[in-house]
Amino acid sequence: MKLRGNQTNGREPHTLAGAYAMDAISEPDRASFERHLAGCEECAQEIAGLREATARLATATAVPPPSGLKERVIAAAALTRQQPPPAAEASAEAPARVPGIVPWFRALALPRRMALAAAGLAAVAVLAVAVAFGVANGSMRDQLSAAQASSQQVAAVLTAHDATMMTGAVAGGGTATIVMSHAMHALVFTAAGLRALPASRGYELWLIGPAGDRPVSMLIPGGHDMTGPVVASGLRAGDRLALTAEPIGGATRPTAPMMLDVLL
Amino acid sequence: MTAIDRPAPEPAGTGQGATADLGAQIRLVARGDAAAFDAVYDLLAASVFGIVIRVIRDPAQSEEVTQDVLLEVWRTASKFDAERGSATAWVMTMAHRRAVDRVRSVQKESERERRTAAADIPYDEVAEAVESSLERERVRRCLGSLTELQRESVTLAYYGGYTYGQVASLLGVPTGTVKTRMRDALIRLRDCLGVAG
Repeated sequence: MKLRGNQTNGREPHTLAGAYAMDAISEPDRASFERHLAGCEECAQEIAGLREATARLATATAVPPPSGLKERVIAAAALTRQQPPPAAEASAEAPARVPGIVPWFRALALPRRMALAAAGLAAVAVLAVAVAFGVANGSMRDQLSAAQASSQQVAAVLTAHDATMMTGAVAGGGTATIVMSHAMHALVFTAAGLRALPASRGYELWLIGPAGDRPVSMLIPGGHDMTGPVVASGLRAGDRLALTAEPIGGATRPTAPMMLDVLL
Repeated sequence: MTAIDRPAPEPAGTGQGATADLGAQIRLVARGDAAAFDAVYDLLAASVFGIVIRVIRDPAQSEEVTQDVLLEVWRTASKFDAERGSATAWVMTMAHRRAVDRVRSVQKESERERRTAAADIPYDEVAEAVESSLERERVRRCLGSLTELQRESVTLAYYGGYTYGQVASLLGVPTGTVKTRMRDALIRLRDCLGVAG
C-alpha cells in the first residue's frame, strides 16, 4: 500500500485523501489539496484507488430512476455538443476528427444529392441552439420546455432508434441540418447562416415526391442566425426535401429555384 | 479472491464485467455513438440516481442532477482515461460531486432537515439499501468490517454529504481524527472490496 506521500511544510496534506475522495472537503481545502495532488503522482494514484471504493458505495445505492428520464437525457444529449478529446501528439497536424458526428454519418446511407459538409461538427450545436432559440440561458430542461410547442415531436425524432443526421450546404449560403427517422416517417430540419431575404419573402420547406408537392412550413427565424426546428412528418418513399424562397405568406407549391434538394 | 464468486454479471453497472464493458461503451460515446450512450444510460442511470437521491433526498432535484450528470458523461466522454480509474468510478465521482455541490449550494434553507435526516440514516439505511444483491451484500459486509467511528465518518461524509469538519462536530471528535479515520476507512474498504488501488 502506498500510504506515505509528500510532506509540505511539515504538514501532511496526504491525510486529506479520504475526505477529498468523498468530497467531504470545503472549497479552500479542496483547492489546496488539488495543488498538492498536481505535484504528487503517488497521491493521485491513491485517490484513484479510494475512488474505486467510493464508487462501490455509490453503486450499492442503485435505485431505478424515474420513468421518462431516459428519453429526456437522450434528447438533451442529442442537443449537446461534446467536448473534443485532447489532441493526440503524433497526429497533431492531421485533420481534426469530428467526434460528435462521424458515427452518425457512418451509419447513414448518404443521400447522393446532398453535399455532406465537413462542417458537420457544427451541426449538433446548430440544432441545439435552434431548438433552444430565444432562451438566453438556464438548464437544458428549461430550454426544452421553452421550445415546448414542438419539442416533444422534435425529441421523439431525435431519440428514435434509427435517427440519422445529415448536414448539407444550402445554395446561396447557409447550412441545413436534418435528423431523420425512417421508422417514424419524420424528420427535424434546422438551418443556420441562411442568406437574409427581403422582408416580403421567407424560406419555405417542402416535401416533393410521387405523392405530390406538400408544403411543410415556413422557416421561423430564431436567434443566432438560425431557423427554429421544423418537424416534417408523413414522409413517404421517394420523397425529397426542398427549400425555396417564397412570398412571406407561403406558397402552395414551390415557385422559386430549389436552394436545397435532398432525396430522403 | 474477488473475481471468482461472481456467477453472472449483475445489473445496474455494479458488476465488474459490466464495468469493463462500460469503459468500452464510454469510448464509443466519446465518438458520438448514440447507441452506446443508450447502453451507458442503462448501465449507470440507477447507480447515479441512487447516490444522488441518497445525498440530496429531494426527488425532483435528484432527477435534475441525475440528468446533468448523465449529460456530463455524454459531453465529456472524451476526457475519460481508463488508465486513471474505472469508468464506474469516473461517473460516480462526478455524480457524487454534483450531488454534494447541489446540497451545499442550498445548504442554508434545508440544513435543519438534512441534519436530522442524515444523522438518522447512516448505518441502518445503508444496510437496508444494500442487501438485495451479492454486490450490495459485499459492500454491506465491508462497511460492517470498519470500526464504528470509521463507518460513521464514511456514511456521514459520503451518503450525508458533509465535510470532514461537519462530521467532526456531529461526532464530537477532533477534525484530525476524522480525516485520518476517513482515509483509513476508505483504504480498508478498497482492500475489502478488492478494487484496484
